[in-house]
Amino acid sequence: MEHTTLAHHLLLAGLLFVIGLTGVLIRRNLLVVYMCLELMLTAATLALVAFSRFNHLMDGAVLVFFVITVAAAEVAVGLALIVALFRQRGTVQSDALNSLHD
Amino acid sequence: MTPLLASLDVTFKALAPRSGDWQAILPEICVAGLGLLCLLQALILPATQRWLIPATTRVGLALIMVMSLVPVSYWNSSEPTFAGLLMPHLPLIGVRLVFLFSALLTSLLAESFLRERQASVPDYHHVLLIITSALMLLGQANHFVTFFVCLETAAVGLYILVGYLRRSAASLEAGVKYLVMGGLSSALLLMGIVLVYGSLGSLGVKDPLNFVEIQVAIEAGKFTALTLVGTALILGGAAFKLGAFPFHTWIPDVYQGAPTPTTALLATASKAAGAFSLFLLVNVPFHGLAVRTAPLLAVLTVITILVGNLGALATTNIKRVLALSGVSHAGFLLAIITVSLVQPEASAIKWSAADTLWVYLLAYIVGTFLTTQALLAMPTAEDHHRPILALRKLFRRSPILAGALGFGLSSLAGVPPTVGFAAKLLVLILLVQAKLWWVLGAALIGVTISIHYYFSILREAVIRPSDDNEEVAVLPTSGLVRFIIGFLAAVTVLGSLLIFI
Repeated sequence: MEHTTLAHHLLLAGLLFVIGLTGVLIRRNLLVVYMCLELMLTAATLALVAFSRFNHLMDGAVLVFFVITVAAAEVAVGLALIVALFRQRGTVQSDALNSLHD
Repeated sequence: MTPLLASLDVTFKALAPRSGDWQAILPEICVAGLGLLCLLQALILPATQRWLIPATTRVGLALIMVMSLVPVSYWNSSEPTFAGLLMPHLPLIGVRLVFLFSALLTSLLAESFLRERQASVPDYHHVLLIITSALMLLGQANHFVTFFVCLETAAVGLYILVGYLRRSAASLEAGVKYLVMGGLSSALLLMGIVLVYGSLGSLGVKDPLNFVEIQVAIEAGKFTALTLVGTALILGGAAFKLGAFPFHTWIPDVYQGAPTPTTALLATASKAAGAFSLFLLVNVPFHGLAVRTAPLLAVLTVITILVGNLGALATTNIKRVLALSGVSHAGFLLAIITVSLVQPEASAIKWSAADTLWVYLLAYIVGTFLTTQALLAMPTAEDHHRPILALRKLFRRSPILAGALGFGLSSLAGVPPTVGFAAKLLVLILLVQAKLWWVLGAALIGVTISIHYYFSILREAVIRPSDDNEEVAVLPTSGLVRFIIGFLAAVTVLGSLLIFI
């Protein structure tokens, strides 16, 4: 493990972030889109921990706790909304979201 | 104790809040306390006394507004508090007034709306107050931890309020759309914060999340390409809240589907949060990058004003017109932010760029809520379906509502002598002083277009002749509605005097 450097961690974080972003942009199932959003937050968290560890700074590690809390709150509200939408529409495909237009 | 624990102990003692720190955020604590009081009241009050809950909220908010206007140093200190987590860089009174005023008006609009739809009133007020408290703290943020947490607290609360009507498919659809777009923007914002933190930390900056330290480092030339990418992502996150081009695509759908009181809250409080945080970001941590950010902001100002106004021109649903015209108002707010970078000493009459920001927002709040109140008093089967044609003969059905619409839309369009005109004039004076001629040109074109579509709504309500002479049903308005309309109409006229004197 002596050979893992900051660059390795950042590469992994960047990869996760891009996977998440791609998923948000191309997937049609709202639950999968939502999972991809969480993946992006996780990627940012990983980069934060890596920077915090390799730069010998503490506040990044502290921010991680806040990010986890925020993500948990967001998931609670988000899943409630998606479930309520499923009950109304019977689907969680984003193509079905077309009732709002001029 | 191990050396690590001992050093942590010293760190925590140095970071511990002092007594003055709590006094400095007393108004915010009161708002959050009021939010908790709503839940408590909902628990203990019998059903016959539930009317007390919104009443307490309104009285409380009005008292806190008076309190934050009192110029005592307790809650107006300009010192950093909580070990640098908070430090007011913006005019504190303005920031607090904007959020408190929009919360108060949202509460006034929401109560009967929610009752008619059998939705819970206390919960709505609770979430509304927590959002307000978070946004008031956001305006004083001096650290990316505070910034992120406050922004996200408000965002999660707004997801709830947008999707509040669980039986309405439109409200839920708007909620989910807002959730996905908002989640995407906050993930990008967080990545931006991480990149700035990491790149500056690698260069030896001691506290690379603190706004002032970031400013010092960047002005000393300590930044890399990674910092610039991070900056762009962070500014994008703030621009999303503001609804500036190219982050405005969510606005029409979400505003249309959201419950109308929430639409007004989104248009005012959420836009104010975006404007304040963008102002803060480009003027404090990223001030050293003004050479790069100022031209970018100027270009975005022009595009935002034109896109918003042209979009509103081609729209027939009133809520969407308000949404897209809101985008053009976001353009005016961007113009103020641009001026603060290009010509920091610029001032219109007695208002600096930072002051103009909150004055413009207050004027926008008055116009938006007057218009929204008129809409809400009109009966409709579905809240998201409000075509302009439904306003026909409004003047004969209810002169008061037509008057509210007249005052509200005139103020939004910027017709003298309304407060909206005074606010727009301040922006134009600032643009002249900063010699941003082409932005000024775009602003003038924007005002011209906006007068056209605002008045086409008004023409439908007031002038449009009806072919038949049949009797139209009179629309009754409650005493509260008449009071709100009278109060806001008075503010519309008197506000411009306050700005000029």
